[in-house]
Amino acid sequence: MSLINEKKDFRIIADLIPAKSSVIDVGCNDGSLLEFLKEEKDINGRGMEIDQQKVQLCLSKGISVIEGDADLDLYDYPDNLFDYSILTYTLQATKSPKNVLSELVRISSKAIISFPNFGHWKIATSLLINRKMPISEKLSYSWHETPNLHFCTINDFIDLCEEAGIRIEKQANLKTNKLNEFYGKNLLYSYFNEVGLFLVSKIKN
Amino acid sequence: MNENKIVELATEQALVLDCGKSLKSFKTAYTTYGKLNDAKDNAILICHALTGDQYVASNHPITKKEGWWSYIVGPEKPIDTNKFFVVCPNVIGGCMGSTGPKEINSETGKVYGTDFPVITIADMVRAQKLLIDYLGIEKIFCVTGGSMGGMLVLEWLSKFPEMVHSAIPIATATNHSAQNIALNELARQSIMADPNWNSGNYYNSDNKPLKGLSVARMAAHISYLSKDALHSKFGRNLQDKSSLDYSFDADFQIESYLRHQGFTFVDRFDANSYLYITRAMDYFDVSSSNDGSLIESFKNTISKVLCISFTSDWLYPTSENKKIVKVFNTLGINVSFIEIETDGGHDSFLLEEPNLFEAMQGFIKSTYENL
Repeated sequence: MSLINEKKDFRIIADLIPAKSSVIDVGCNDGSLLEFLKEEKDINGRGMEIDQQKVQLCLSKGISVIEGDADLDLYDYPDNLFDYSILTYTLQATKSPKNVLSELVRISSKAIISFPNFGHWKIATSLLINRKMPISEKLSYSWHETPNLHFCTINDFIDLCEEAGIRIEKQANLKTNKLNEFYGKNLLYSYFNEVGLFLVSKIKN
Repeated sequence: MNENKIVELATEQALVLDCGKSLKSFKTAYTTYGKLNDAKDNAILICHALTGDQYVASNHPITKKEGWWSYIVGPEKPIDTNKFFVVCPNVIGGCMGSTGPKEINSETGKVYGTDFPVITIADMVRAQKLLIDYLGIEKIFCVTGGSMGGMLVLEWLSKFPEMVHSAIPIATATNHSAQNIALNELARQSIMADPNWNSGNYYNSDNKPLKGLSVARMAAHISYLSKDALHSKFGRNLQDKSSLDYSFDADFQIESYLRHQGFTFVDRFDANSYLYITRAMDYFDVSSSNDGSLIESFKNTISKVLCISFTSDWLYPTSENKKIVKVFNTLGINVSFIEIETDGGHDSFLLEEPNLFEAMQGFIKSTYENL
């Protein structure tokens, strides 16, 4: 999460969440987003974090946090326990992004997902010209040491949601700092956004 | 302010036990540290484990060793005695001054022995509640304990939810597994197999069931350690010798260590108490009064909770602790969970484990600040 412009990202996420919502932040890091949302929207927040030192940080801030793994531990929550679940910059590091997405929309009414867009023009151009896995400010790991298992583009994400029965309601443009209704794939959006940020929910049968 | 105190409770109305019998005017021995503030919102109740006692942060009168949780309880420690009023009672059925099998039955004037009623974890908590009432505390800031102490914490959360602001159950379970019961039965049988046990009537005899109690402790002690810790500490090293003796002496260091654990334990513990308390642990199922439903058992819990487990604990493993977390999550209870990586086994909660220190300090401090 340190890779993205946190404040901007936090602001947009806060704008998506009504006051006093119950929220779980999966991969909550040091709890700073939950703290921000508590302050801005008086949410009832919970965190899940895999890194124990970060769990300790959350505990010291009074944040309720479960040391856990998004791939394994979301199954422990009942359906619709939360109003919102948040997964920022973590989807690409999960073993099974599809299962994690499905679990998120099962345990919460709506989910907010953000991830680095591998289809951004800089990355695409870098790959085309250098023929090497791109390393940039936002993708700072070498290919052989990256914790990121499943890079995807914004268009890949849109396809996955469709496959998993997940409706995309809104998409955020972190460049213009705007929230837009989602009307389907958009070439410009997927080309110029380094980060995809979406509000999604489960398609009810 | 940390000397041992003894109070007589249930002097007017007897404490009715799960077994149907009741205890009238029973004694509870306890220690306190720090001062109860005017708002009475800074009380921390510490629940000890099977062989623990009230000497949580002060030297033990028999062993002369420092308190069993001195690492966690004291000035500037996670349970900061400069800030909090700490109460640690010896459980009923125990042998450090609270009413138990080695104490005099006030009705008969004789030592209880095995006439002492079989008690449960819930009974222990009901007795503790009387002590908390006696101390004038309406809401305990935090209830904590490991192992059996953790069971008492869960019982508090279930039966007196409105009295507990926060709780830290450590290395525990919502009930005893078959493996847990089996290990306790092994311990009980070794006590009862000692002819000196004499059906529990040994208090007036010069010969006490020390062998049986010692073997019980040895068996239990193995279950508190991990295979890796045993291996790295002792391996197959020989004790004060360079070759095998071809005898049944303690050839190996681990044998000598266990024998030492057994021998020293009998100085401070009563064999009958060991029977009663292990029985209470075996009978423990926090959901038993709710037809086995954990959800029903904790539906009124409003406390903020931190559950802690240890990776190498095979007696109350992470999976058992996570069961608690899952139930609390389902109920929307404010629960946190941390699994501490260590090869210290079940005993880790009693060891100098920096991650335990940090987690408890962070949780207690931030929870008190947000009170």
